[in-house]
Amino acid sequence: MTTAPLTASSQHASASAARPADGEPIVSVQGLTKAFPERRTWGEILRAPWRRARRITAVDGVSFDIRRNEFFGLLGANGAGKTTLFRMLSTLLLPDAGTARIAGHDILREPHAVRSALALVVPDERSLDWRLTARENLELFAALYRVPRRDVSTRVGELLEAVGLQHTGSKLVGTFSSGMKQRLLIARALLARPKVLLLDEPTRSLDPVAARQFRRFLRDEIVGRQQCTILLATHNAEEAFELCERVAVLDRGRLLAVGRLDELMGEVRDDMYRLTVRADHVDDALRALARAGHIGATLDDGRGTARWAVVEAPIPGGPDGVADMVGHLVRHGVAVCGVEHRPVTLADLLERMVRLKAED
Amino acid sequence: MRGAVALIRARWLAARSYRVRMVFSTLSLLATVVPLFFVANALQPIMADKIAAEGDQYFAFLAVGTMTFLLLPVSVNALAGEIGSGINTGVLEALLGTRTRLSEVLAGLIGFSLLWAGLRAATMLVGAWLLGATILWSRVGLALLIVLLIVLAYVPFGMMAAALVIAFRTTGPLPQAVTTLSALLGGVYYPTHVIPSWLESVSGMIPLTYGLRALRRTLLEGEPLRAVLPDLAILALFVVGLLSVGMIALRVALAYARRVGSLSHY
Repeated sequence: MTTAPLTASSQHASASAARPADGEPIVSVQGLTKAFPERRTWGEILRAPWRRARRITAVDGVSFDIRRNEFFGLLGANGAGKTTLFRMLSTLLLPDAGTARIAGHDILREPHAVRSALALVVPDERSLDWRLTARENLELFAALYRVPRRDVSTRVGELLEAVGLQHTGSKLVGTFSSGMKQRLLIARALLARPKVLLLDEPTRSLDPVAARQFRRFLRDEIVGRQQCTILLATHNAEEAFELCERVAVLDRGRLLAVGRLDELMGEVRDDMYRLTVRADHVDDALRALARAGHIGATLDDGRGTARWAVVEAPIPGGPDGVADMVGHLVRHGVAVCGVEHRPVTLADLLERMVRLKAED
Repeated sequence: MRGAVALIRARWLAARSYRVRMVFSTLSLLATVVPLFFVANALQPIMADKIAAEGDQYFAFLAVGTMTFLLLPVSVNALAGEIGSGINTGVLEALLGTRTRLSEVLAGLIGFSLLWAGLRAATMLVGAWLLGATILWSRVGLALLIVLLIVLAYVPFGMMAAALVIAFRTTGPLPQAVTTLSALLGGVYYPTHVIPSWLESVSGMIPLTYGLRALRRTLLEGEPLRAVLPDLAILALFVVGLLSVGMIALRVALAYARRVGSLSHY
């Protein structure tokens, strides 16, 4: 696969580039770093019991700022360090270096104040009490979050309505669907009226329809009406596209870029196409593409059939370029029955950002 | 204490939803009392002179010992169990993310288990009384205070076990060792003075020894507070010392877990 040449406006990650121009940031992350000891095997321990375990850096000097009422995405593949970063921001994990300020409070020096300003939506549905109703679950956490007694009933009612669970009545949470449980988790986090909400892959257990409804709920209700700043960790570029004003891209603990997602995506080539060709013409198609200066690859992901195979390749030049390429393939005896544009993926973005970082 | 009360209420609501389990949990106790009655009556001639200072009826002696011992495993195991499952399910993370103090969260986590165990213990005592055990109900107020001190002396072992779970994901042999040693050397089934002298010194290091002696003298002999004060003072010292150690152990374990990141996965 070829890549487009670098542009001068490459989004090199830096705290200064990330700092918003207007207003005091509600979240300010400064050089947060965390490393964990690598788990040693019994054999390694027995061979060298005195040796200290190697440390693996999960988050490496990450800095960025988030404005009030912003929907900010933390984009990265599994193991990028998103969850570790969340745990540090919510004071559940101590950083090795660096710090962060949430609504003006330092996570190291004022953890209690930070917990008053921020709520981590624990993604595990099992953290709800499944033998209680939605209302009972919220009443429990209202007491733990110190919601004034006289306000509990009203606040719980408001939130149940906000997340669309007001009619669940005496139904136990164990009988809820995944989407309902996720919404209840959000309602629980909102009890204390947090200024910042941390969401760690909230749609991972939802079907596509429920995920779309949930994203709409986040955008309209939580950011729109509840005026909450959201920090969303996701590995789903489509989700980030739909929701986030700005994103930070993480890869193996390093911050690769911060900025508007459409600008970052502009750095990534958007000329990948999937060509459906006769299965026994795949080699001819790859050779013809190579002759035209492009490196194609056969997709082995079940898209093809016994008679038709799918080849993915970059085709620059827009519609004209695609038409020319199809003509070129046909002239070389390749039977083509379909061409489809492939949207940019998180993998493309990460690949591009890693390359930019390496060249920086 | 609002957070603790809310947690206890939530546990009660959850437990109440398992109706059959609740009924059987109580009925099984009454079934335990009956064999105890026959065994105690059979051993009465042998034990009568040995228990003279703590009521001369072996069935009542045994009922009070067994009833108190019901509370021990709960005191020692409940918190470690709650913390372990809390880590596993994300509940602990959710609780620590709230504004409630750690001590209150801990009290709330074990409160219902202790209250339920207390209710079961009371049921057992009433069952024994109905079968003829001589219980002086007029002394029940002081008896409750003594039981509370016994529980408070054993909860710290639960805190230490919970600290071990947070740090190493196992309680090790601690709960088993504490409950077994207390059962064997704390005077549950026989008075501690019948234990060989070299073991009696170990018995002196067990809070239950003082608690049970004071409880029996109060509930079976009707002795006033003044008479059991020395035992209560030692028990109170155990409570203060062990609670401090338990709290420190938990805080150290939580700080360690916050450093290594083990609060959120088992």
